[in-house]
Amino acid sequence: MKMEDMSLSGLDNTKLEALAQDIYSDLVEDACLGLCFEVHRAVKQGYFFLDDTDQESMKDFEIVDQPGVDIFGQVYNQWKNKECVCPNCNRSIAASRFAPHLEKCLGMGRNSSRIANRRIASSNNMNNKSESDQEDNDDVNDNDWSYGSEKKAKKRKSDKVFLHSLKQHIPLNPNSPRRSKSVKHKNGELSNSVNADPYKYNYNTGINYETLGPDELRSLLTTQCGVISEHTKKMCTRSQRCPQHTDEQRRAVRVFLLGPSASSLPDADTMVESDCYDASDGQVLMSRLQWDGSSDISPSDSASSKASTNNSDSKKPKKKKKMSLGLNSTGGGGGSGSGGGSSSQTSLVGLSNRKKKPKLPVPPAPSIYDNLN
Amino acid sequence: TVAPFWPTCVICSRTRTVHFSSLKIRKTNVVSVMSPAGCPHVNGFKVDNWKQNLRVIYQCFVWSGSAETRKRKAKSCICHMCGAHLNRLHSCLSCVFFGCFTKKHIHEHAKNKRHNLAIDLLYGGIYCFVCQDYIYDKDMEQIAKEEQRKYFFPVVCMSGVGEKYSTWEPTKRELELLRHNPKRRKITTNCTIGLRGLINLGNTCFMNCIVQALTHTPLLRDFFLSDRHKCEMQSNSCLVCEMSQLFQEFYSGHRSPHIPFRLLHLVWTHARHLAGYEQQDAHEFLIAALDVLHRHCKDDNGKKANNPNNCNCIIDQIFTGGLQSDVTCQVCHGVSTTIDPFWDISLDLPGSSTPFWPLSPGGDGSTLNGESHLSGATTLTDCLRRFTRPEHLGSSAKIKCSGCHSYQESTKQLTMKKLPIVACFHLKRFEHSAKLRRKIPTYVSFPLELDMTPFMASSKESRMNGQYQQSVDVFNNDNKYSLFAVVNHQGTLESGHYTTFIRQHKDQWFKCDDAVITKASIKDVLDSEGYLLFYHKQFLEYE
Repeated sequence: MKMEDMSLSGLDNTKLEALAQDIYSDLVEDACLGLCFEVHRAVKQGYFFLDDTDQESMKDFEIVDQPGVDIFGQVYNQWKNKECVCPNCNRSIAASRFAPHLEKCLGMGRNSSRIANRRIASSNNMNNKSESDQEDNDDVNDNDWSYGSEKKAKKRKSDKVFLHSLKQHIPLNPNSPRRSKSVKHKNGELSNSVNADPYKYNYNTGINYETLGPDELRSLLTTQCGVISEHTKKMCTRSQRCPQHTDEQRRAVRVFLLGPSASSLPDADTMVESDCYDASDGQVLMSRLQWDGSSDISPSDSASSKASTNNSDSKKPKKKKKMSLGLNSTGGGGGSGSGGGSSSQTSLVGLSNRKKKPKLPVPPAPSIYDNLN
Repeated sequence: TVAPFWPTCVICSRTRTVHFSSLKIRKTNVVSVMSPAGCPHVNGFKVDNWKQNLRVIYQCFVWSGSAETRKRKAKSCICHMCGAHLNRLHSCLSCVFFGCFTKKHIHEHAKNKRHNLAIDLLYGGIYCFVCQDYIYDKDMEQIAKEEQRKYFFPVVCMSGVGEKYSTWEPTKRELELLRHNPKRRKITTNCTIGLRGLINLGNTCFMNCIVQALTHTPLLRDFFLSDRHKCEMQSNSCLVCEMSQLFQEFYSGHRSPHIPFRLLHLVWTHARHLAGYEQQDAHEFLIAALDVLHRHCKDDNGKKANNPNNCNCIIDQIFTGGLQSDVTCQVCHGVSTTIDPFWDISLDLPGSSTPFWPLSPGGDGSTLNGESHLSGATTLTDCLRRFTRPEHLGSSAKIKCSGCHSYQESTKQLTMKKLPIVACFHLKRFEHSAKLRRKIPTYVSFPLELDMTPFMASSKESRMNGQYQQSVDVFNNDNKYSLFAVVNHQGTLESGHYTTFIRQHKDQWFKCDDAVITKASIKDVLDSEGYLLFYHKQFLEYE
């Protein structure tokens, strides 16, 4: 059809209708042509069939919806023997007991300092009482061990201090207390325990500072105590607040390893047990967000929880002095600002005495059953 | 046959032994694929100032941007033989000749003049008459792309969208890799890819339930699966890298549950207050995890997240909202406003020791969200209404009013200034007051789709301006959210267990109970008690 300038005003409805129809079918055809070109190009460039899956794969990944099995068709509860390697001590640990192991391994459980203190005390007395042996056994929780490595562990006769823990049997009831039937410490060997890492019973796995580069040392020393044992020449791998060593010792080792400029320990707020990531008392975490320039508060201090009138649920309200009008809602008496110590977190499940700061006094009357949760 | 020279079939990329015998492959087509430049016949064209000539052709006759060029195209682009201006008009690349394809007028011209190449004026494709097919020459395509972008630019600018969307195409290397690895994992609706159980490491269900919610947050998943995290941390302890690894694990196709021991170690290293083998709170873990991820992220401009004024990391983009707090002096009615960032909204429940009912007047959102009040059950909307109600602060909590220059009584009200893309609602079920420690089991009904409009600061403004009756603007999609994850807690305050319902593909829900993933119905999800509710914005807009 030759193109010409046409006026639409003179046309009646049927002609207009026909024109509209023409334009519409042209548009549809053009759109189809576009699709054809896309496919043609994809085929010629070689990527058209790439997203096809083979039949086997399709079947393999089909969702199963049957009672007694999960979506993969697997029976429940068959994962009891899973293991993993602890990133801290490199031992192989049963996965379901990894969390309690890690707690002790990093020296942050509520009993860790108590046990360490006891160990220091007993080693200072050169005390060989079987009672202390038994209590020490709690530290290396047998259930952390995987079944396979227990045998390997027994062969390491060279371990002096903690040989007793190697020979423990894994009881049928994982929660039962254990009694040590193993080798008693010999005199003289316990003096090593002052510096030995109780969770690294094999000295060969301690950290030898001579083999590490300055960068590695630097990063290591930001998270670990690092004090070098006089006996083994290895670095302590416990936390920065490790009770076996003093801050003075830690400073000294940093000077020794990194030079005089590195003599200061990292800031308290990047260290261990700060109560809350929304730091308190003027120690400002670096990740404060400015919101339209009007607030210093990080979203981790959820404004919603402090704003509520439910006095149980405020997040550290005493510290929220930064809110511009310093408001605390009061409804219902005892408002959020004055909540008792137990209201320190919004919602805790199953926690009675959470140990936040290592400076808290050791709980009285410790029992060997304490860390069996 | 021509088989010995061409190892792969042009159609399906399988090896020749399978395919060449059954399919008639035209020799010319195979040649086109083999030489990545398209076809050898373009070489005759690529002489002298061919690039500029080609550009002119694109600008004038294919993608005409301005009104004059469009007019010119409409008037002058007609078939020189039959006058048609449609019928797949082509322009000869070697001379000024337009011919339609349908009636083969352009073919005639090509044969007569031996001008082998022509361009389709509708889509800009180059046709080679020797190969008898459209060809894709890399250099020519590059020019076409640039011209097309110029053409689209004003259109795109006006609509507010950044750039015209182009679908992903594999590079040559990627094509090679894909050809050599024919087994595919394709995510279809009935597919387990993306779902995986998590081993409980010893009372770590609080962590597992949050991991499931995060790995099923669509935007977060897309961010990590497209490899957007570039790590700048020196040590191995970047939590964002670990998160990235987690997504790889979830999409690996492995069926055995994943053991998130490295994640636990990293979180405990970076959020020491959480560490300790005890039962912990999932909500706390969520906030701590977001905090550490946020600290470890870099924003798009390469600035560290520690810059408080300008963090644009993925965590902020997805999870951070703004909560507006207005304090109104009762005497002079001056309003003082602050806006704080938030990652979650913690809502009080009826049954706690502070009174829940009655709610404030105005802004009834419950009919909007399709929740029923018939049964008398508290709804999520009720909780939100309570959260955003004006609260009289009482004479014991006077604040200094800058207007009155003295201490006055006031009311305070919270509203949402900016909603995050993912909104997390925390139902405060655990009461830890001086007198009581208990779990509040009150059933709260929550909807699949939620409209947050009544709770926005902007809605409050319009209410204050006298528009009490809020007409529902059905075309305003800004504040519409869809439920995609629900974390539940079963048990008592002292000891309990967390599970998560997550949504994978529209309307397919799954229950994640540590290592066991099973299919769940929407009814299961909506009947559950609810502790953490995750909603995702339905319509995403470019900024």
